[in-house]
Amino acid sequence: MILDCDLLIGRDIAVGTRVDGAALAGGLAGLGIGGGLVTSLRALLFDAPSGNDEARLVAAEHGWQPVAGVDLRDPLTALAEVARAAELGVRAVRLAPGRQGVPATAPGLRAVARAAASAGLLLLAEGDVRVVGPVLAGLGATVVFLDAHFYHLGDFVLLAGDEPGFHASTRLLGDVDGWELVCAWAGAERLVFGSRPGWFEAAAVVDRLAAADLTAPQRDLVTGGNLRRLLGPEVTT
Amino acid sequence: MIIDVHGHWGPWFFSTHVADAAANLRVMDRCGIDVQLVSAVEAVVYDPLTGNPALVPVLRAAGPRLRGLLVVDPRDLSLAARQLDELLPTGLFVGAKIHTHYAGSPGGSAAMADALALLASRDLPVLVHTWGDELVGLADVVARVDGVRVVAAHLGGPAWQLTPSAAERTDRLWFEPCWSTPAAGRIRWVLDRVGPQRLMFGSDSTLIHPAVTLGAVRAAGLSAAEEELVMWRNATEVFRL
Repeated sequence: MILDCDLLIGRDIAVGTRVDGAALAGGLAGLGIGGGLVTSLRALLFDAPSGNDEARLVAAEHGWQPVAGVDLRDPLTALAEVARAAELGVRAVRLAPGRQGVPATAPGLRAVARAAASAGLLLLAEGDVRVVGPVLAGLGATVVFLDAHFYHLGDFVLLAGDEPGFHASTRLLGDVDGWELVCAWAGAERLVFGSRPGWFEAAAVVDRLAAADLTAPQRDLVTGGNLRRLLGPEVTT
Repeated sequence: MIIDVHGHWGPWFFSTHVADAAANLRVMDRCGIDVQLVSAVEAVVYDPLTGNPALVPVLRAAGPRLRGLLVVDPRDLSLAARQLDELLPTGLFVGAKIHTHYAGSPGGSAAMADALALLASRDLPVLVHTWGDELVGLADVVARVDGVRVVAAHLGGPAWQLTPSAAERTDRLWFEPCWSTPAAGRIRWVLDRVGPQRLMFGSDSTLIHPAVTLGAVRAAGLSAAEEELVMWRNATEVFRL
């Protein structure tokens, strides 16, 4: 079964729809996705502490791994949430500057990323990889860029060449050879399956996987091996 | 049977290696696509003057699986008329393509109306890139241009929920759903509101892998009757294939 780095629950005010844990779990089964990393939109859009509590509960209920969402509009609370996540054994932090109307240049973004990297946490970063990527460089951070689009594939490859911790999600790499070129130029260990089911047409990513010219070992890395490595040996998914 | 009404041939300016028509055919084979309508990338993003003729030998070499879409820039209809005269007799082109963004001609513009009138005079259907609320503007223009047959590419992208509003303005506007960032449930939502007679499959290959839109179509759970219309029959009728 596939592991997905980009699971979201809650309500997205921008589109006005809700997906709770049960609905998301129901959708995953038909897609061949066995679980992954889940973040609460409540944490990203309204209240990080209660949203992150929600994510931990839903993750425990379904056998997923919780991600701590932080709100960069309040970087002080965001830093506290990073510390709390580390104390609770949460292994990843999600950054969503675009959803929050926060420019990538905001000091809080880099401060939160530095804190997460220092705590050994994986970062999941939304936004244009050309803009967010350079901000996260030089911190020794391990990052999956959730919105890496094939339009910007060359820039991701360049960033990844300098940053051994940089990875791309598959979700928006839906061109004819994007997955294959990332594997060729950056390595299959840099590509992580993400499809944002319930919010994005995840079947499009699943079908792109089916059509991908990847070797069996590459496919194993992309669909779960890389994410397990990034979460650390103590985490089971 | 799958007909893909939205294809391209030639190199892209992105980091991708798909310049040869062999890339079109390889991906078509992988995805079970029988026929693809292609426009020259060069004509779309740079200059139809050189881009459209460059497609001719490619179509001749590829055979009937690749059929041409002649790119029209609404700002240069004298060139378009000349190329229609020169290239339609080859029998290699089955329609036209207008990109509203690259050609600086929004769907609801006067220039678009003039371009569609030219194409209607040649009885040539046209695939028009649509993004945002220009989808509705295009529908209003189509309604005013007698006889023109238009396929709105991308369902307006992020404005896809305007599709029913566009559909009700004219029955000579069809819709094609390819998008690199497809929202969940979009195709079923549109189908239930405009009906399967108004939607036809397109991929935007070789920019986007056809598996992306095929996956989105799969998620829509088409009935057998819907699949026949969406995946090939509507295209054969509109483009007279």
